Amino acid sequence: MPFSLKFDPDNNIMELNGSLVSLHCHHYNCGLLKAIESTPNIDAHKVLVETAAEEFFKNFKNCLSNELQELTAEAALQEAAELYRLMGFGRLDLGKLTADGGSAYADSSYYVVSWLAKYGRRATPVCYFTCGYIAGILGAIFNAAPDTYEVKETECMMLGHDYCEFIVSKKSNGD
Amino acid sequence: MITVNLLYQRNQMAIDSKKIIEIASSLPIASNEKGIMAAFGVYVAMNYNEFFFQLVSKIIRMVDDKEARAVEQNLYDAVLECAYHTFHGARSSMHWRDLILPMIKTPEDEVHALVAFTNVFGIGYIEVEELIPGEKLVTTVKNAYDPGRYLEEYGPQPRGRCYMFNACNASYMDLVYAPKYPNGMGTFISREVMCRSMDHPACKFVAELHQSR
Repeated sequence: MPFSLKFDPDNNIMELNGSLVSLHCHHYNCGLLKAIESTPNIDAHKVLVETAAEEFFKNFKNCLSNELQELTAEAALQEAAELYRLMGFGRLDLGKLTADGGSAYADSSYYVVSWLAKYGRRATPVCYFTCGYIAGILGAIFNAAPDTYEVKETECMMLGHDYCEFIVSKKSNGD
Repeated sequence: MITVNLLYQRNQMAIDSKKIIEIASSLPIASNEKGIMAAFGVYVAMNYNEFFFQLVSKIIRMVDDKEARAVEQNLYDAVLECAYHTFHGARSSMHWRDLILPMIKTPEDEVHALVAFTNVFGIGYIEVEELIPGEKLVTTVKNAYDPGRYLEEYGPQPRGRCYMFNACNASYMDLVYAPKYPNGMGTFISREVMCRSMDHPACKFVAELHQSR
């Protein structure tokens, strides 16, 4: 297992491969999403996707440099899916992604399960965090900037689909 | 007040915070094969502290002060719900009943136990500074993540940035001294009276009865 979690009980600090992490429940994570979505005059989804992309780009790149050296892209994508599962965000199939993009699928989603538990069904997709996650880890794996990839959720279990589908493309210059 | 102080000192002896942290941090909280982490009646996820700092700090800097305060209030409310439900789920669990409940003799013991239980989620170490039963709880945190980052990125802040600890502080009082769960949430309200993001040496939170109640 390349991902190691350390807890310092004297300071209530938790590190995942050297980066500080914390545990939060669905009331907070969904409340945070709702809070930013309800903030007027900002593109909350864009900020959320970009922030997730930047953080997972940085941290997964560190993993690739340290614990996951010399992995093939295919193996690195498998480890990225394992990290996603380990952190409690659901189950992702990243096996169809390449340096040029492609598609990814989730048959289990933290945000879908959580939002349904807290607020019930909504009429729009909810996996914005995952879009950023995919963009970030792709940048790290293929040595590109975290804003290289555009990820759109085209199907979401929130809308009654059997799985969540993410279509990934490379942004053209100037996007 | 003498009675209160004696009670507080007795509580210090009754509750072994280190033991509670040891128990709670060894509980099997892990993702299942579908990547879902369920514990104490809530769904849990792990994320980078920097992710939360970046997301919230970017949002509140994009809006005017009035809107920023509204966002902060929404975040306080979200954490209050999180803490209120999660901590109630914890204290209702078999592990709590078997391992922690035997230490609890008074409502004040329960406050200390809940604070200790919070000290396993990786958010920084909370300590009880003062507890007046049914009236007031003062907690401090010296190593919260966000305030240090606000100072680094943006310099001293005009008000406290620790909505998370602030709401947790209120939740302890709501759970122990307010009407029985699930009817007590919001009975107490907490204020952050010191914050490291404002160049104070520590972050301090004061929960008292909500005046409008």
